[in-house]
Amino acid sequence: MRLALAYFLGIVLIFGAWALVSFSLAWAKGRPILPYPWEAAVAAGENIWTLLSAFGTSALRFLVALVISFFLGLPLGLAAGFEAKLEQFLSPLIYLLYPMPPVALLLFLYLAFGLGEVVRLVVVVMALFFQVVVAAQGAAKFIAPTHVVAVRSTGASRWQLYWHVVIPATLPSVLTAARVSVGLGITMLYIAETKLGILLPPSQGLGRFIEYYTFRADIALAGVVALALLGLLFYVVLEVLEKRLCRWKYVGVKGGS
Amino acid sequence: MIEVQNVSVVYGSGEEALPALVEISFSVGEGEMVAVVGPSGCGKTTLLLAIDGLIRPTAGRILIAGEEVRGVRRDVALILQDAGLLPWKTVRQNAELALRIQKRRESVDGILSALGLNGFERRFPAELSEGMRRRVGIARALALRPRVLLMDEPMANLDSLTRERIQNLILDLWWEMGFTGILVTHDIEEAVFLGQRIIILSPRPARIREILENPGMGSHEYRGSPEFLERAKTLRQLLEENG
Ligand SMILES: Nc1ncnc2c1ncn2[C@@H]1O[C@H](COP(=O)(O)OP(=O)(O)OP(=O)(O)O)[C@@H](O)[C@H]1O
Ligand SMILES: [Mg+2]
Repeated sequence: MRLALAYFLGIVLIFGAWALVSFSLAWAKGRPILPYPWEAAVAAGENIWTLLSAFGTSALRFLVALVISFFLGLPLGLAAGFEAKLEQFLSPLIYLLYPMPPVALLLFLYLAFGLGEVVRLVVVVMALFFQVVVAAQGAAKFIAPTHVVAVRSTGASRWQLYWHVVIPATLPSVLTAARVSVGLGITMLYIAETKLGILLPPSQGLGRFIEYYTFRADIALAGVVALALLGLLFYVVLEVLEKRLCRWKYVGVKGGS
Repeated sequence: MIEVQNVSVVYGSGEEALPALVEISFSVGEGEMVAVVGPSGCGKTTLLLAIDGLIRPTAGRILIAGEEVRGVRRDVALILQDAGLLPWKTVRQNAELALRIQKRRESVDGILSALGLNGFERRFPAELSEGMRRRVGIARALALRPRVLLMDEPMANLDSLTRERIQNLILDLWWEMGFTGILVTHDIEEAVFLGQRIIILSPRPARIREILENPGMGSHEYRGSPEFLERAKTLRQLLEENG
């Protein structure tokens, strides 16, 4: 209840600030620049079905990209951090590729994958994948040796070692990293849906929605708000997932073992 | 049951080579319990890890039940120095861990209640006292009903009452289950209370300095008896000379 109230206050505050900025800009320039929140709200209402459909498409796209990033990035990152031999070999590769922005490769991605759904997913996956890999590798490097010895001494197989130690030990860091990367992921989603979505109707993703209504500032702004809400949605989902799956992190004395 | 023959372990190689064990030889009969004492950092944990098959000796060999140890054996259980509980598993899941990894379906209820842990099955290690965590570590090893139990300072850093209680418990369980035990400790009274023989190691790299017979061991009453105190005194002298 307190949390709901805090969110409500936050929303009121943001909309208040937004209205203030709109007013100041209009006053300074002598003409309307940024539509008022209520104008955007009316525009959202008038285009609600297109907007909802765009939201749904973007959410699904992001979810699929997130899941793919986990499925590919988690095993690679964990192995690269936990297996000393693999680490020597994979670390340089990962660190060379990690800072490379997929945006810089848009042209080649377009040439390689065309303008279909695949290329949009590839762009978002490329961004999230490296976040997951680097977080998993970092966490897997610092697994307590006593946990490994405890499980190895029972006669565990390599797979059992991963299942009982490596995965649970690194899950909190990986989920946190994924949560922090939502912002980056949403940016990449926007770029993918605008730059690589020029053939799409406005209902096929929020990026496309915003671009399509470039000249209707109030509608475009409604799309921007929806995009922010999409980010919030994934942020919250990942946080709830972490609290659920890593309950052990939140018990006992704060700062205790 | 356990034969350690001329075992040496060297960590690292070349310039950084660090010998931990030098030509250690001793044997432990079936159902016997032996204590190993030695100064901090001398190589006691290394010895247990080698017997458990987690470290390969640089030289020499170890036999258990007549077979050379080449990897982890499922009839040997290890209690780690700091219990080594997995923080993401509950008390029950930690106690069951070894059984489940070996695909065994036995229940751990009996051992948990023998160790006074019932009511805490669903707690995480972070919610337990240090003494309880140690008992979970003991439960995890004993749940396997192992033929050989290797214990690495299972009572270190506990208050003296809890320590004595767990020592009594280990003695009782040893009578009841009849495992062959090796107990590493740096506590003199503990070695005399639980070791039928006491192996004294030199500072690193560990060599065997002395093996002290301790035939009176075996009952709760032994603690505090004149014979017990005499043995403890001898052991203390030997350790002091050991330096
Ligand atoms: N994995 C390792 N790599 C390199 N050196 C090690 C390793 N493990 C232990 N050592 C070294 O070997 C020596 C013996 O270590 P060990 O843990 O066996 O001692 P210990 O007798 O159990 O000590 P303590 O009483 O503190 O538990 C120490 O000097 C330690 O620094
Ligand atoms: Mg030790």
